[in-house]
Amino acid sequence: MASEYLLELEDIEAGYGRAALVLRGLTVKVPPATVVCLVGPNGAGKSTVLKVASGMLTPRSGTIRVAGQDVTGFNPQKMLGAGLSHVLQGHSVFKEMSVEENVMLGAYSLTDRAEIAERVDFVKDLFPMVAERWKALAGALSGGQQKQVEFARSLMVRPQVVLLDEPSMGLDPKATAIVFEQVVRMRDAGTAVLLVEQNARRALETADLGCVLDLGRVHISGPASELLADPQLAELYLGGRPATPTTT
Amino acid sequence: MSLLIQSIVLGLLLGGLYALLAAGLTLYFGVMRVVMIAHSAFLILAAYLAWFFSTETGLDPLLSLLVTVPLFFLIGVGMQRLLISRLRPATMTMMSVLLTFAIALTIEGLLGYVFTGTQRRVRLSYGGGDFEVFGANIAVVKLIAFGLAAVSLLVLYLVLTRTRFGQALRATIQHPEAARLVGINTDRIAGYGFGIGLATAAVGGTALSLDSTIYPSLHWHWIGPLMAIIVVGGLGSIPGAAIAAMVLGLGQSLLQIPLGTTWAQTFFYLALFATLMVRPQGFFGGRLAQRF
Repeated sequence: MASEYLLELEDIEAGYGRAALVLRGLTVKVPPATVVCLVGPNGAGKSTVLKVASGMLTPRSGTIRVAGQDVTGFNPQKMLGAGLSHVLQGHSVFKEMSVEENVMLGAYSLTDRAEIAERVDFVKDLFPMVAERWKALAGALSGGQQKQVEFARSLMVRPQVVLLDEPSMGLDPKATAIVFEQVVRMRDAGTAVLLVEQNARRALETADLGCVLDLGRVHISGPASELLADPQLAELYLGGRPATPTTT
Repeated sequence: MSLLIQSIVLGLLLGGLYALLAAGLTLYFGVMRVVMIAHSAFLILAAYLAWFFSTETGLDPLLSLLVTVPLFFLIGVGMQRLLISRLRPATMTMMSVLLTFAIALTIEGLLGYVFTGTQRRVRLSYGGGDFEVFGANIAVVKLIAFGLAAVSLLVLYLVLTRTRFGQALRATIQHPEAARLVGINTDRIAGYGFGIGLATAAVGGTALSLDSTIYPSLHWHWIGPLMAIIVVGGLGSIPGAAIAAMVLGLGQSLLQIPLGTTWAQTFFYLALFATLMVRPQGFFGGRLAQRF
C-alpha cells in the first residue's frame, strides 16, 4: 500500500557509540512537496535526526521508510538511491573545485548523460546564481552562494526528500533570506524538505509543518503557523512573544 | 659558470624525482590523514626489485615497472583495507606514524635478510653516457629518471583532473563527509588512493635504481626531505608538493657548491622550520592543512 508520506521515521532510538541515547522513540513524517521544520534547544537531537535519515548514523531501533519502502540500516549511498539527499551543517562545498564540478558530483551516482544534462538545466533554472558562477571556484563564493551550490548539488539526483541541516548557519541576514527563499523554491519545484534550523522563528515562517524536539522526542508538532502563534512555545523555544499575524 | 648551470640542471632533475615521491606521500595524508613513514622504504624496495630483475634477467630495470607498479598498487590497497582503515579516526594521524614506522623497519629488515647489507648498483650499458647542455654535463640516467617522474606526474595529474575516479578522490580529500553524501564510496576511493601513492614509490624506486647505489637503510636518507617537502607545499596538496619539491631540490643542488653534499641536505629542514614558523599550513596548499 502506498504511503501518504515520503519519509517516515518511526520510534527511532539512536546515539553515538556507547554513549547515552540522543533520540528516544522519535517519530517524524514528511508529506510530499512540504517543508517540515525541526526546531528545539541545543542537544535536542535535531541534527541527529538528519544523520539517521541519511544513513550516516544507524538507529539502534525503529523504522525508516521512504515512499513506503523500508530503508532502515541503509548506508548514505543506498539512501541516496532511495531518494534522500542530505545537505550538511556549515559549508560543505568542495572548495577547490569549480561550481560546475561541485554540481556534477551531485550526479556521481547517475550514469545516463541525457538525465544528467536535464538535471543540470533544472538546477541552473532553479538557482540562477549557480548558472552565473558556473566556472567559478566554489571556495571563492560567499557563504550564501556556497549554500546554493550545495542545494543545487543535492537536487542533481532528483531526490524525493532533501534534508537541510541549519542552512542559515554563519550567514548574514540578507544571505539567510535568500537561502530560505531557495528552500521554498525547492518545495514549489516538488521536493519535500526536512529542515533543521537554530533560527526557529525564521524556519517556522518558511515551513508548512513544524516539530518541536526536546530530549530526543517530538514534544509537539503541527502546522508551522500554529506553532508560531502558540504563546507557550514562543516563550519556551522561540525566544519571547508569539508571532503577530502579518498582512500583505 | 658551467658549474652553476650544472647545479641548476641537476637540481631540476632531482626535483622532478622528489616531486613524484612527495606527490605520493601527500596523497596518503590528503585521502586518509596518514603520515606514511614507510613510503621511502617502499621506494628502496622497488629499487631492489629493479636491481634484482635486471641482475637475474639481464633486461633493462625499467621493464620491472610492468610488475612493480601493479604490485605496489595492490599492496597499497591491501595495506589501507587491512591495516590503516582499522585505526581509529580520532588518532589516525598519530597512530599511522607508529604503524608505518614499523612497516618501514620490517621492509628494511627483510631487505637486509634477503639481499644482505651489501651495497648494490644496477649495471647499465648506457650508465656512463652523458651529454652537454650549455657547458654542463648531464648523465643520461638522470634524464631518464626525470622523464619517468615527469610522465608519472602528468599521468597522475590527468587521472586526478580528467577522470571520474580522480574527481571522487579530490572530493574525498576536500570533504570526506560530503563526498559520502553524494554517493562516493569513500572507503574504496581511499584504498585506491593509497594504492596510487604506493605505485609512485614503485616508479620512483626504479628511477632511483638507475643512478644510485642502494642499501637497505637508504630509506632514512629520503623520508626526511620528503616530509619537509609536503609540509612546505601544504599537506594534502599535490601541486604544492610538486612545486615545493622542484624549489627545494634546486636549492639543495645549488647549496652543494659552497657547502658540500651533507650540509646542503639541511636546506630541507631549514625550509621546514621556516614554514612551521611563518606559514604552518604550507605555501601552496593550505585549507586542508589548516584543518589539522
